[in-house]
Amino acid sequence: MSAASPYDVVVIGGGITGAGVARDLSLRGLSVLLLDKGDWGAGTTGASSWMIHGGPRYLEFDWDTTRLSCEDAGHIVTIARNLVYRVVFLIPVLPHDKNNIERMETAMEVYDRFQPLKKAHPHRRLTPEEALRAEPGLAPDLIGAVTMEEWGVDPHRLVFANVQDAVAHGVRALNHTRVTELIRDGGKVIGVRYRGPDGAVAEARARVIVNATGPWSPAVAAMAGAHVELRPAKGIHIVYPHRISNFSISAESIDGRDLLMVAHGGFTLLGTTDDDFYGDLDSVDVLQDEVDYLLQAFERVFPSIRDYRPVRTTTGVRPTLFKWRRYEDELSRRYQVIDHSKQGADGLISIAGGKLSMYRLMAEETSDAVCRKLGHQARSETSTRPLPGNESDPVAPAELAARCGIPALAAMKLQMRHGSNAEKVLDEGATSRILCRCEPVTESELIHAARHEQVRSLADAFRRVGIAAGPCAGAACILRAAEVVGRELGWSASQKFDAARDFVRGAWLGRAPVLGHAGWAQEELAQGAMRGLMVGDGTS
Amino acid sequence: MGRADSLAKLALAYGAHLTRRRLMRPRPQLHSLLETYAADGIRAVDSAERAQHPRLVTCINCGLCALAAGRLGKTRLPDLASSYMRLYARLGEASSDVEGETPDLAAAAAVCPVGLPLDEVAAVVRRISSR
Repeated sequence: MSAASPYDVVVIGGGITGAGVARDLSLRGLSVLLLDKGDWGAGTTGASSWMIHGGPRYLEFDWDTTRLSCEDAGHIVTIARNLVYRVVFLIPVLPHDKNNIERMETAMEVYDRFQPLKKAHPHRRLTPEEALRAEPGLAPDLIGAVTMEEWGVDPHRLVFANVQDAVAHGVRALNHTRVTELIRDGGKVIGVRYRGPDGAVAEARARVIVNATGPWSPAVAAMAGAHVELRPAKGIHIVYPHRISNFSISAESIDGRDLLMVAHGGFTLLGTTDDDFYGDLDSVDVLQDEVDYLLQAFERVFPSIRDYRPVRTTTGVRPTLFKWRRYEDELSRRYQVIDHSKQGADGLISIAGGKLSMYRLMAEETSDAVCRKLGHQARSETSTRPLPGNESDPVAPAELAARCGIPALAAMKLQMRHGSNAEKVLDEGATSRILCRCEPVTESELIHAARHEQVRSLADAFRRVGIAAGPCAGAACILRAAEVVGRELGWSASQKFDAARDFVRGAWLGRAPVLGHAGWAQEELAQGAMRGLMVGDGTS
Repeated sequence: MGRADSLAKLALAYGAHLTRRRLMRPRPQLHSLLETYAADGIRAVDSAERAQHPRLVTCINCGLCALAAGRLGKTRLPDLASSYMRLYARLGEASSDVEGETPDLAAAAAVCPVGLPLDEVAAVVRRISSR
């Protein structure tokens, strides 16, 4: 076991909240160790709807959540310009919907009061004819529609931008590193014992430990005999590898819940479910029933939805604060910073609840609590300080493309991930080869990710650069990606083979619940193309 | 603020809304909506394009069309269907990729295992990117 290193703070959990806390504390001049048992943002954060939104739904329950959420969304939009884009919802009202058009517009009128906080435009109301001209795919019997604007975001890049900036300010950040024990001294938590990806066990001492592990936070708190009470809720999304509509569309489910079909850059997310979850947090499966529930709702609003071929599903568990006797949907998305000193675990602070749109504020308040504990006088800078790649305006994609010999579309996508640092990324590896053609992703970017962005597996590469995220789901690029990442990380031929196989197996698990006729045909083709990978692993 | 407060305020807003609707004549808002979001690439599609759309996004990037025909401008045919056709809102910034020669799209479509009408895909991509 390696010797303990002293830090001011150890942050456990590298989702958006933990990464945000690490960044905030590092900007305040504290020494921080950030640990995650998987990859950055691979848990709840990555399984979100990829939106920075204000949450008009909360207007029925808690206007403060909407206000706080909109305010913080405004800060995030300012500091992460390259990662965000406008998402405009058409909210069609159909006969028998729980809200008539007047009630729906009233909600949007109220929401308009909060929209300027996040730099968004007010709603519009459309007649049935106007709505169908905007999106002819809507059900023809609609009564009318209202619009609502939110922001889309790549949560994987948002997490990593926070990690990247934290590291630039002195944080030691280790992914694939599991905390196995909280080290205690009487009633005080004084450090962590952790196991790295190579199996080596180490210790780190710190004056404060932050538990930012989302749905896993009760288990981590329990290591110190402390208590965090959540009501975990599972949510799934169906992923389509293209933009089905330029507008995002909302639909009412059979049980009256609001569901969303969100138009992102080059793909569509359809979701989400919200069900109490009691199972194993490390093994959350998507069920066929959940897929059918979503499709049933959208078929009513957007009848051609079943004509589109999904490419995979995502699933995650929300760390919702505990509340008894409410439907899952009505639970608050508020958060709580918990100092466990009264539970006999002085030095341990948990951050529980919340949502992606408020991550920065959650991180700031958690960091405030840490600083109070340490007697450290420094204010948060994260509401105004740009994340990496946002310090200056990027050049036009066509200009970058011409300069670097890549397609303008590849340049545009690269800038969405790296902002004004895109050209530096392209300098890595000195090659302009396009490696993943669906996205598209350059070989240089993948090399950069392996060298500088803590990519340790092909799933990490998927999160960092979007490799294999397109219509072919990796059939055309995953072996090439394994070659490139393997070369950078010193993998043997069999390790490259195993990495590709692991990725294909993982992708298959997410895809199986949504394979229709065309999906199975593609699967046959992909399995055929990668026949060597599949032998003996039970998935062929 | 509790739920009762929230609902009371919404009820008040609802009353004000209904009063406003009675007193003011509604105006068409589609034009201003599309104008607001044109810079973000959020545009209406026409009915014919909507009807065709599910057929135009079925590419599985098998690459066979690349063997049958050349490039559309600077773009390989599989990329056209698997990447550009995903209707990126900002495709206008990548218009230079698809300007130039048109290959034998009929030959390319003939070898497509999912029956993608590549001529229609090319037309849509060029139209979107030229806006």
